[in-house]
Amino acid sequence: MKDVVLEVVDLKKYFPTKRGTVKAVDGVSFTVQAGETLGLVGESGSGKTTTAHCIIGLYPPTSGELRFKGQDISRGFERRPLSLRREIRIVFQDPGSSLNPKRHVAQILSVPLKVHRIVGRGERLSKVRELLEMVELPPDDYLYKTPRALGGGEMQMVAIARALATSPSLVVLDEPTSALDVSVQAKIISLLLRLQSELGLTYLFITHDLSLMRNVASRVAIMYLGKLAEIAPTLKFFRSPLHPYTKMLLSSVPVVSPEERALKPEKVVSRGEIPSPVNVPPGCSFHLRCPEKGEACSQLDPTLQEIEEDHFVRCLQFQGPP
Amino acid sequence: MERNMESLVQVKGLSVGFRVFEGLLRVLDGISLRIGQGERVGLVGETGCGKTTTVKSILKVLPQPPAVIFGGEVLFRGKDVLRMGRRAVHQLRRSSVAAIFQDPLQALNPVFTVGTQLSDIVRDWAAGTGKRLSKKEIFRRCVEALAQTGMPDPERIMTCYPIQLSGGMRQRVCIAEALVRPVELLLADEPTTNLDVTIQDQILRKLDELVEEKGMSILLITHSLGVVMDLTERVYIMYAGTIVEEGKTEELFTNPKHPYTQGLLKSIPKLTGEGISQGIPGRIPNYLHPPSGCRFHPRCEHVMPICTQQKPPLTESEGVACHLYRGDVR
Ligand SMILES: Nc1ncnc2c1ncn2[C@@H]1O[C@H](COP(=O)(O)OP(=O)(O)OP(=O)(O)O)[C@@H](O)[C@H]1O
Ligand SMILES: Nc1ncnc2c1ncn2[C@@H]1O[C@H](COP(=O)(O)OP(=O)(O)OP(=O)(O)O)[C@@H](O)[C@H]1O
Ligand code: SF4
Ligand SMILES: [Mg+2]
Ligand SMILES: [Mg+2]
Repeated sequence: MKDVVLEVVDLKKYFPTKRGTVKAVDGVSFTVQAGETLGLVGESGSGKTTTAHCIIGLYPPTSGELRFKGQDISRGFERRPLSLRREIRIVFQDPGSSLNPKRHVAQILSVPLKVHRIVGRGERLSKVRELLEMVELPPDDYLYKTPRALGGGEMQMVAIARALATSPSLVVLDEPTSALDVSVQAKIISLLLRLQSELGLTYLFITHDLSLMRNVASRVAIMYLGKLAEIAPTLKFFRSPLHPYTKMLLSSVPVVSPEERALKPEKVVSRGEIPSPVNVPPGCSFHLRCPEKGEACSQLDPTLQEIEEDHFVRCLQFQGPP
Repeated sequence: MERNMESLVQVKGLSVGFRVFEGLLRVLDGISLRIGQGERVGLVGETGCGKTTTVKSILKVLPQPPAVIFGGEVLFRGKDVLRMGRRAVHQLRRSSVAAIFQDPLQALNPVFTVGTQLSDIVRDWAAGTGKRLSKKEIFRRCVEALAQTGMPDPERIMTCYPIQLSGGMRQRVCIAEALVRPVELLLADEPTTNLDVTIQDQILRKLDELVEEKGMSILLITHSLGVVMDLTERVYIMYAGTIVEEGKTEELFTNPKHPYTQGLLKSIPKLTGEGISQGIPGRIPNYLHPPSGCRFHPRCEHVMPICTQQKPPLTESEGVACHLYRGDVR
């Protein structure tokens, strides 16, 4: 049994709004093992970022449990001990708005060093240089640049350096490269992979890009409307997807080469009404769009079942009678 | 598939810079491109190469200063947008050209609800065409536009403020703003980056439909080369403010000529799982002192002496701006 770094058990996060309660995350359970990359993929608005924000402690979950290395961390950010905040870090999608535009790189990277008392004042600058070198930005060229003077890829590298400043063990990557072009993305991803093996990092990687996940994730989890639809080791996931939503996703991946086209399942056109997280339909939440739905699907809500080793699916087709 | 390819937009020799504290950033270096009527054109290139600047020039929304336009023209149906008066530009934007901007948070006004922002656009468009629409009719059009983007529960979303929506939902509001009235040209700057592929597919099909049925033209900017392959018939590849290659999308992607395009295509993560490439070595140049000759030469593995001295023109026959393809100089 591998070491489990993070355990998420029946996590729920509801947002009360004037027009009803948004069930952004509604009973999600998964584990993340040491040194792996768990890819979290799903429809926009399905609750990926909300899950991430609960994990880093930005707000407390409505219910459910989060365990980090066996320790319960379900409480809110204010009460999280510093030692824990040091261990779990996040890289946001949009580096432009997550980096203070009025500070230069040296100041930005000093903040976590100060807050977490990583090094004394005298050693701060040399630690900042070390961090920049780690993300392959020559310190002499970058120390005193402001985010405005950086390209999108470079900003994201600074954001990664900032996340790594506290020597975390778990890093949540919330769409770290979706705003970047493919050659810059390739650079950042190879950097992330190198750092992962050098520093023994564990990644929870949120993205819409299944082709990217095929190449970096050890397991892939699919989210739909606040719940997990499927979770499986990467090879199994791409070779034998089971959930109808997963198949729809895979069949819609835009590709450039005929070799890739050959790997996609037969085209499943997305149609039907997309339900709202305020008013989740009864039964399986995917049934309104599901091309394979049966009679029971509009009434019974399936639960996540282990179909074969490590391959979990939430669909009535794979569930025995209750 | 043959359409009437009369030019709707022609950008000719456009050069744009930005005046900043350190000096002048020479970004667009005499670019030319064409969008035919009913044509789907892609524009692809590295972060910071000037794609958004190009789109903003076509719409005449670049703030000057800091932007400086050195030369060139942007013809819309033969009329130069850059020399149009304020009223003509307003008329163009409200009834002929719609844009989906890259950053939904910037494009949306945080203090108004989605419904208010959408209905303002419809009302303005109606005023421009002399139509009078009832409140109910305006509401119906807004809800329909939101539904077309695959937005769940559009009527509820009408009452939401941007902050209450997820990234992908905000992006769909921007798409709805572009589709809520009929236009001749859609400038779509990264319209689907935050969306999952099933919704993306649904939106691309919708755009296809608008092209096929209404003869709309599209300029699509995206980092997803798969989306470019899916939607567009022709594509321009841009590097550091220059167009380095142009051609039919499928041909260009199967047989890229320019060293930059070749590097770009190698960088795509593949569904076949061949691992991640290292990307193209080096970085996009500093626009204060852009490289002489071919702007790609400092990063190019085929660089020759002439590349540092002479800017290679985009040849009509080959559709590539690179000295490797100019028999006469080699
Ligand atoms: N502070 C909030 N108040 C009300 N609703 C919220 C809030 N934050 C998120 N939501 C809602 O929760 C749902 C999930 O949002 P979340 O940002 O987690 O989605 P996501 O999966 O990250 O989507 P995307 O891929 O678009 O980033 C959405 O319906 C969103 O509108
Ligand atoms: N208002 C401005 N002031 C100063 N420089 C600017 C301004 N707008 C753009 N630039 C510069 O012009 C160059 C091109 O920017 P542009 O936004 O057009 O790139 P892009 O190709 O759209 O990139 P991305 O893929 O990241 O969206 C960049 O180097 C940018 O820093
Ligand atoms: S012109 Fe020269 S430097 Fe530029 S891409 Fe071609 S070979 Fe490389
Ligand atoms: Mg998100
Ligand atoms: Mg841009």
